[in-house]
Amino acid sequence: MQIYGVYVPEKERLLNYFSLFKQGKGGLVVYLAIIGLVFGGFGFGSIFILGHGHTINTSSLVPWGLQISTYVYFALVSGGCIFTNFIGNMFFHEKYKHLASRVIFMGLVTAIAGFASLASELGHVERMYLFMISPNPTSPMFWMSVWYTADISILLVEYVNIQRHVHSKALLYTSFVIPIITYCSLGSLFGAVGTMPYYYSSLLPIYFLFSGFLSGNALCAIIAAFHAKATGNMKLIKPFMRLQKIALASVLVLTFCRIIIGLASNLSGYEVFRETFFQNVIFGIVCALVVPFAILMNKRTTGWLIVSSVIVLFTQFMARLDLVVEGFRVPVFRAYDIPERINYFPSIFEMLVVLASVSLVALIYIVCEKTGLFEIAGKETH
Amino acid sequence: MSAIEDKDILEIMHADLQRALKKPRKERRWAMAIDLKKCIGCHACTTGCMSENLTPPDIHYRPVKEEEIGEFPNTGMRFLPRPCMQCDAPSCTQVCPVTATYKRDDGLVVIDYEKCIGCRYCLVACPYGARSADVGQYFTGDFHGKTYEVENSGEYGKTSKRTSHWRSPIGNARKCHFCIHRVEKGELTRCTTTCLASATYFGDINDPKALITKLISKSNVIKYKEELGTKPMVYYII
Repeated sequence: MQIYGVYVPEKERLLNYFSLFKQGKGGLVVYLAIIGLVFGGFGFGSIFILGHGHTINTSSLVPWGLQISTYVYFALVSGGCIFTNFIGNMFFHEKYKHLASRVIFMGLVTAIAGFASLASELGHVERMYLFMISPNPTSPMFWMSVWYTADISILLVEYVNIQRHVHSKALLYTSFVIPIITYCSLGSLFGAVGTMPYYYSSLLPIYFLFSGFLSGNALCAIIAAFHAKATGNMKLIKPFMRLQKIALASVLVLTFCRIIIGLASNLSGYEVFRETFFQNVIFGIVCALVVPFAILMNKRTTGWLIVSSVIVLFTQFMARLDLVVEGFRVPVFRAYDIPERINYFPSIFEMLVVLASVSLVALIYIVCEKTGLFEIAGKETH
Repeated sequence: MSAIEDKDILEIMHADLQRALKKPRKERRWAMAIDLKKCIGCHACTTGCMSENLTPPDIHYRPVKEEEIGEFPNTGMRFLPRPCMQCDAPSCTQVCPVTATYKRDDGLVVIDYEKCIGCRYCLVACPYGARSADVGQYFTGDFHGKTYEVENSGEYGKTSKRTSHWRSPIGNARKCHFCIHRVEKGELTRCTTTCLASATYFGDINDPKALITKLISKSNVIKYKEELGTKPMVYYII
């Protein structure tokens, strides 16, 4: 079924899937995602009804916690999907075209999931309209909102174009340039804060771009791997494997540079790099980058691609949490009972927000996949 | 300085304040000077401020940092009160995405509680740690707070009870505002009046006759983290 040239799942297939779902044949992940959404919804509801003071562990000392990390993570995954789409279209057109609508769709869904997490962290999310009527052009956050809106709009147009078989090079290039600006803005939101040495760096926007590409490509690789398994077309995973290796190597170089710069400085606040050195090397470099790279170099099957991508997705999430939270480790002013080092551990409600965001992405994608949305679109695309 | 010592410091600053209030707002420039040699670390300024602005738990507009210096037997205590620096080039106003925090024409950096979206970017950007997030807690641990905890603090001369959704500071960033609601009524800031050692000075530095202007023109005056280029308007006399 089409609405203005855009495919939507057929009513019949939706009903069929619903009856399968009722019989318990909807797929394990779907049931888990629904349970996750229910618990996550409880978390969201609690935060909005009870208030931050009674539900979340962020404070004046750690103003940004797990929810902001989750937002940054999903925003970067979304950006990574767009970069994967661009590179896939440019260099692997034949192998990639069957997956284009899925990749762009995931870019949209992850952007929504990220925004949901962000909304639960803001003190007054209902005042977001002020970005339009009372903007501050000197604020990186304002520019991020502008480019984020442009980014999602471009994604929507690109998705509609793919489904309507309209192939526009201009749009493709735009959908590459706009996310670069968007995710550089997100990086500069952190990187421009001179008071937080752990963030303050012109390297950070570039680091965000590449780690976004890595995370987004990992998600797309999982989708490609499952699609390849289902269709028996193993050629589909090749572009994603190659891109994942490039992304892993790029992020490895940038992470290494970031740590070296941090270790070399004596400025107050940079001691976080020294204090977290082993943690960064063991988890941030070896587990997060070297292990998935080694897997991809030695095993070229869909199963191992999924393993490598899952490791990347998980470790990149932890890397985002580390990036956001460790910035506050050394307090800028200490008085009364403020400790020398601030430790933060998210509350159960914050974890439920993450659960809700992940479940949302999983549920929407799987339902759309099972009801044949991409199947119909893919058959006729390009 | 003998003429100053002859009169009560509070009376002098009060007279300076009345003179400043007669000028148009844009011609004033409020500043604070803290004499670190006189500060005895009694925290009267902190508690005075808390009762004036009804700040919730973990929010101190004017904490006093205590440091032990030297080694036994040559030891001592050093105190550093830290109000908001009311910077002339504030990093908080620069990062606020919706201009909820801004610099007034008299130089005071204020927060519009009806506009703040609670993103906390200003907390991250402030190099002095002078900003706090009001997450809606109460000292009594009550979910809705006791009656006296939800009263109108009168901050900025217009805020209403904490239970009011739109004007409540809950969910917003909060910080010291040099008790602007008192100053505009002709009263000195609460920390100035409660200081036991008369270590805190307040006034308009655009007034050459004001006590604070005379004090900050000496060579024994420094600013906190001045190298960051934020041009703080709190002077420390050492």
